[in-house]
Amino acid sequence: MEGAARQKWTLTQEAFDGLLATLAPDRNSAAERYLDIRRNLVRLFQWRGCPMPDDYADETINRCAKKIGEGEEIRDVASYSIGVARLLVREMGRERAREALPLDAAPEPRVLPPETKEGQEARLECLSRCLSQLPPGNRHLILSYYQGDKGDKIKNRKGLTRLFGIPSNTLRMRTLRVREGLQLCVENCLRLRGGNCL
Amino acid sequence: MGSERVHEALLVQYLLGNLSEPEEVQVEDRAFADSDYLGALESVEADLIDSYVRGGLSQSERRAFERRFLTSPSRWSKVEFARALARVASESRESEQPAGSTIVHFIRGWNPALRFAAGLAALICLAGPSWLAFQNATLRSRIAVLQEQRRQLEIREQGIRRQLGEEQTRAGALAQRQEPQSTGAAALVASLILLPGISRAQMQVEQLVLPPSAQIARIEVQLEARDDYRQFRVELRTRRGEEVLTRSNLPRHRTISGYAVSFDVPTSALPAGEYELALKGVANPQALADIGYYYFGVRKQ
Repeated sequence: MEGAARQKWTLTQEAFDGLLATLAPDRNSAAERYLDIRRNLVRLFQWRGCPMPDDYADETINRCAKKIGEGEEIRDVASYSIGVARLLVREMGRERAREALPLDAAPEPRVLPPETKEGQEARLECLSRCLSQLPPGNRHLILSYYQGDKGDKIKNRKGLTRLFGIPSNTLRMRTLRVREGLQLCVENCLRLRGGNCL
Repeated sequence: MGSERVHEALLVQYLLGNLSEPEEVQVEDRAFADSDYLGALESVEADLIDSYVRGGLSQSERRAFERRFLTSPSRWSKVEFARALARVASESRESEQPAGSTIVHFIRGWNPALRFAAGLAALICLAGPSWLAFQNATLRSRIAVLQEQRRQLEIREQGIRRQLGEEQTRAGALAQRQEPQSTGAAALVASLILLPGISRAQMQVEQLVLPPSAQIARIEVQLEARDDYRQFRVELRTRRGEEVLTRSNLPRHRTISGYAVSFDVPTSALPAGEYELALKGVANPQALADIGYYYFGVRKQ
């Protein structure tokens, strides 16, 4: 994070306390708000293709805390932080442009480092274990929802909305939550096995 | 539906980095303000990852995906997860898929006898591979579950052995202390511990041996981690179905190896024979959940 690395200012306890006080009067609510804001910042940096979204999110928060420490009145820290994040994204874009290489010297688009056979097997085993822990309805849902391509997939999902008797948006959200939980379970399982994900 | 498709296409373009800055800002602002929209964006992201791992993206989309999307380790993990999920989902689909419809159309032109013979032959040919495909998809899951169960049982067994050792040591010490004053005193309480898994599956019938002096039989049913209820109910009956007793509102208590439910039965209510014990979890006053059925025999000494 070249642009951010140039920032000499680091977050002090006093500045952090000032940030929390701006978020909410009591510290617990402030901490929850802080986590919400940080989560959204990480999302934004991921969507914008930043390689280290967490570091960028922290840098954004540092900049907001610095402004508050300097006496700037910020009414809506969440919106303000999104604005700061977009500025950071622009900084990142400018740095990339400055480092631009001629086309023939430019690196190929990023590809996923290949996972080892053992890694794949471990992941599949963990996935099977996590699937077996799901209630049967959720297991059926997750395996059916992601089956098929394009037309098949749409037909399949329509069938599932009929089967579960819920609107497509609800089905989509429910499946997404099951998928997120399942991925978390697989990652925890791999961590416990001491397996390397990538 | 049409607008939904347009809306999803816009989100795909956003995730691939193909929108202008003002359009990107619009999508992001709406996602942060509207949780449904955020959910839709995350859902489209999951579908996009799936399309990538299944080779469903065009060349330009694929390059955009790799340039814009595969930028952080957390997203690599999402892609690896999607790859594994696609494999398991496709194995599961193969095991469910019916025979091809083109063959059905072709066979429809045949006379009924030939159709019947062909159907029978096709059934025989398809049954084997379908069964194998199904087995392949489910075997991995079953192995994982069995391994986990075995591990849990081993841990539980170690705990019980340790508990038994401690009980024996304590009983020995107690007997030594009581020996001078109560020579010949006999046990008043007989006990039986029922383990989950083995007893539930009725593979091995536990025996409760009642010495003539025993007045009370203490039955302890070991629970599994998933048996997470605040209260339990036991129904004890003979193997012929005659009710012996029912105990409700039993709490669980901690043991060295986990949790258990215990209750006492007067030995006079337990003539020699075979028994079935039904354990139920009380989820709420209206709902009882079957946890398992345990089988044991009573033998009088």
